[in-house]
Amino acid sequence: MNPLTDLWNRREMLSNLVGRELKSRYKDSALGFLWSILTPLFMACIYVFFLRLLARGVPMETIIIGVFAWQFTALSVSSGLSAITGNSNLVKKVFFPRIILPTAATLANLVNYVLSLVVQLALVAVLLGLQNKTMNPWVLALPILIVYHTLFNLSLAYFLSAINVYFRDAQHLVGVLLSAWFFASPAMYDLSFVQIFAEKHPWALDVYMLNPMAVIITGYRAVTLPGVEFPWTGCALAGGLIPVGMLIVSYFVFQRMQRNFADML
Amino acid sequence: MSAIEARNLGKCYRVRGMGPPTLAGAVKGLFCRRKKEDFWALQGLDFDVQPGKTVGVIGPNGSGKSSLLGLVTGTIFPTTGHVKTSGRIASLLELGAGFHPDLTGRENVYLNAAILGMKREDIRRRMDHIIEFSGLKDFMDQPVKHYSSGMYVRLGFAVAIEMDPDILLIDEVLAVGDLAFQLKCLDRIRDFQRRGKTLLFVSHALQTVEDFCDEVFLIHHGKLVARGDPSYTILQYIRTYMGEGGYLYTQEFGSREVEITDVKMRDADGNESGTFVSGKPLHVDISYDAHKRVEKPVFGFSLKTGNGFYVYGSNTQIEKCGPDFIEGKGTMRLTLDPLALMQGNFFLSLSVHSWDHATQYHRREDWYPFAVKNQSADLGIFRLSSRWSQR
Repeated sequence: MNPLTDLWNRREMLSNLVGRELKSRYKDSALGFLWSILTPLFMACIYVFFLRLLARGVPMETIIIGVFAWQFTALSVSSGLSAITGNSNLVKKVFFPRIILPTAATLANLVNYVLSLVVQLALVAVLLGLQNKTMNPWVLALPILIVYHTLFNLSLAYFLSAINVYFRDAQHLVGVLLSAWFFASPAMYDLSFVQIFAEKHPWALDVYMLNPMAVIITGYRAVTLPGVEFPWTGCALAGGLIPVGMLIVSYFVFQRMQRNFADML
Repeated sequence: MSAIEARNLGKCYRVRGMGPPTLAGAVKGLFCRRKKEDFWALQGLDFDVQPGKTVGVIGPNGSGKSSLLGLVTGTIFPTTGHVKTSGRIASLLELGAGFHPDLTGRENVYLNAAILGMKREDIRRRMDHIIEFSGLKDFMDQPVKHYSSGMYVRLGFAVAIEMDPDILLIDEVLAVGDLAFQLKCLDRIRDFQRRGKTLLFVSHALQTVEDFCDEVFLIHHGKLVARGDPSYTILQYIRTYMGEGGYLYTQEFGSREVEITDVKMRDADGNESGTFVSGKPLHVDISYDAHKRVEKPVFGFSLKTGNGFYVYGSNTQIEKCGPDFIEGKGTMRLTLDPLALMQGNFFLSLSVHSWDHATQYHRREDWYPFAVKNQSADLGIFRLSSRWSQR
């Protein structure tokens, strides 16, 4: 069946699950939604402070953008992992297109991300204003990047939610890989760090840009901040195409594996 | 076209070790080949259920009933064959599945309804109805984590029943909830039947199955062993798996100084039978073997319905008709005339004990199942002698 019609037909269920996810996430904490802004902000402050200690000044706004974008993916990975296993009761007893569960988990994170983006952009504007700079007009292209970023996160959620049913210890492995990936992506630093290394080894930047998160985070910075160039190389474009391929592959992996979900849970 | 159509339907589970599957386990499996065992929960099922029919599914625990419902709903994917359904399908095996403990009753109604595939507007329109049916008016704005399990199920049932499906699957859900709610549920199910919907009904409450169903499937070890007329199939089930030393529910004990060696149930004409007509006599010939001389032995009997309701019991001491002594082989006859039981399946228990109840010689509990057919139009399980007159 066409994946899009499947999701569209059950859009009410999808929106209800997204609502459930968001409501339950913030129901019992005093600051509620604010936490999802405060946590990455604190992280950004820590990274900037840490880099200053290493005598490497990086603008605060650069780090803020990187950390928020990274958080969207990191949350999608962790909520994607438990999307099926955490709803075993539902999967075992009710029939519905299983793909709804990881999709809802990712969309809940998207809603969260978009809301935090408002605060994030305001902060970035203030920080730029203090330096007598203005935001890049290309910032209007942000929605396209967000859609692209979401598709990438969906591909991760589909794949990981299915894998975790079959191999319940996948989450531990993923935890390790996620922190390695964090350092391999320009979240707490920017491309200038890699370019220094690339002066000696020209291939380094190409390899680096094959990481979709490098493409996405650099993209965010290029459209938001003035004077940040996106490295338009062949490898960067390839890195940009990887998520598309991943989405297709992980969708089919998910559909193939979902038949046995009820048996394995 | 049939509402449910199954062809060569089978489900095989690979028997794994304990605990959830892990990556570490898979790696281990690569190096040391473990013996993999296949367990067929269901095998080679072929059947059709016509629209508007109510079909009961019975069988001992672990026979594959729930797997069958899972396959029909689509939560489980068949290993062999296929099952096709036509029309909207809902199952009452999912009561409260998908409820989120932190959300309120009302929020959960919307959520659950959306999961079951209902439209938000429909639910808003029927909200009052749902609240009224569940009887949880005062609790709708409380988180469901504070609900009792009964309240949980009531709310789940109220939502599921509003879905108005073409095929309804019921898996032993009526065992929960208090009596008043159970009656309300049965009422809704009858309403479903009247509106020509198809029902698949899994239950151990044989009496309820017999009351509700047009046809009964008997499943054992994953195979459809019998199907057909409810009371006949249920009797077959009881005969095979419950009565006469069947491994379910029956009990036998006693010192065996006097043994019940053989029991024959006979109808009015003296023919041995398993099915008796209400209002006609029923004879039970109990052959015994007394290994020693027993003074004033007491023979007793009791009757229960298929779901364990104690109907009647008496013995020769109460009725002051027992023999003075027994020694060696002999036969006692118990006659119920007229047989005041009505339609249904019943269990007969027999016992022999000493006059002071100190020694139980031999007792067979729920050992002898039989069916009763009612050929007149009155209703119930027991015929009371009633008379009408104008004054």
